[in-house]
Amino acid sequence: MNKVIPENIRLLLDRYLDGESTQEELRQLGEYLSHADRLPADLMPYAQMFALLDETQPTPSVQALDRLAADRPSPNLSLAGRGSRRLYLLLAAACIAAFAFILLAPLRLEEESMAVAYVDGKKLDDKQMAMQMGQEALQEIFSNGNQEEQLSNIFNGL
Amino acid sequence: MKQLLITLVAIVAALPLSAQKGLRINEVFEGNIVHELALQESLVKGESLAPFKLKVLHTVKFTTGDSQRDKVEALFEEDMKGRLSDDDENLELEYRDGHLYYAIVQIADIKKGLHRYICYQSRTNMAEHTITLVYMEGKASLADLRKTFKKK
Repeated sequence: MNKVIPENIRLLLDRYLDGESTQEELRQLGEYLSHADRLPADLMPYAQMFALLDETQPTPSVQALDRLAADRPSPNLSLAGRGSRRLYLLLAAACIAAFAFILLAPLRLEEESMAVAYVDGKKLDDKQMAMQMGQEALQEIFSNGNQEEQLSNIFNGL
Repeated sequence: MKQLLITLVAIVAALPLSAQKGLRINEVFEGNIVHELALQESLVKGESLAPFKLKVLHTVKFTTGDSQRDKVEALFEEDMKGRLSDDDENLELEYRDGHLYYAIVQIADIKKGLHRYICYQSRTNMAEHTITLVYMEGKASLADLRKTFKKK
């Protein structure tokens, strides 16, 4: 490393202005420009600039930057987490929709066309007979409220 | 997430169960009170019942003695506790000689706009009772059903 003397400072300043300074070079520049008893006239504006920067925007130390990085969750990781959560939700919703469709679709079709009768323990896929049995049962029950029907039933029973 | 999935799966799996399942008289429809060989049963669902504004019509008819008649009657009376009201619009009921003679009962809907009814009729001839049980559900009101099925 070059010794910090006015000649080297100019080189360091050039590197600084080109944006190529390391942290160590910056520290040397700041220290030299703020503590040198006598500065060449051409370096005075730089000394003032560094003094101003020191007052308004203190450069955070490497340790402080490390602590900050450790405390905050990585933005990339957070986004990835959120993305995968959304993906899981979508997958779950898709699974449920597929499951419901598979289970319910045949059931609905079955319901639409179901008409069976059981007589003497035998299953008869006879839609007309099933309908007839159902209607007759309802007619019998709903006719109970009919006075004439009731009387007829009572007399027939006797 | 896991809990949500389990809940949803349980709900979907439960859907195929008939609305009739929660009723005590289902014991009769399943042949647990009277042997299924003695039952005359009909089960109609869907389009065929559209003219009657019904979706499900399940009937069962059988002839039995006092003991089983009493069991069926007791089950029906249990289900009657879930009736919508005692109003004529929702209930027809008659007892004879201390036993249920016939009943048409609207029970609480399990789905809005889908009415449910249970019906019972017992005819006694000598020592035998011919019992008819009906479960139905649909949009039809009791007034609609009376108009459709009551003999003039």
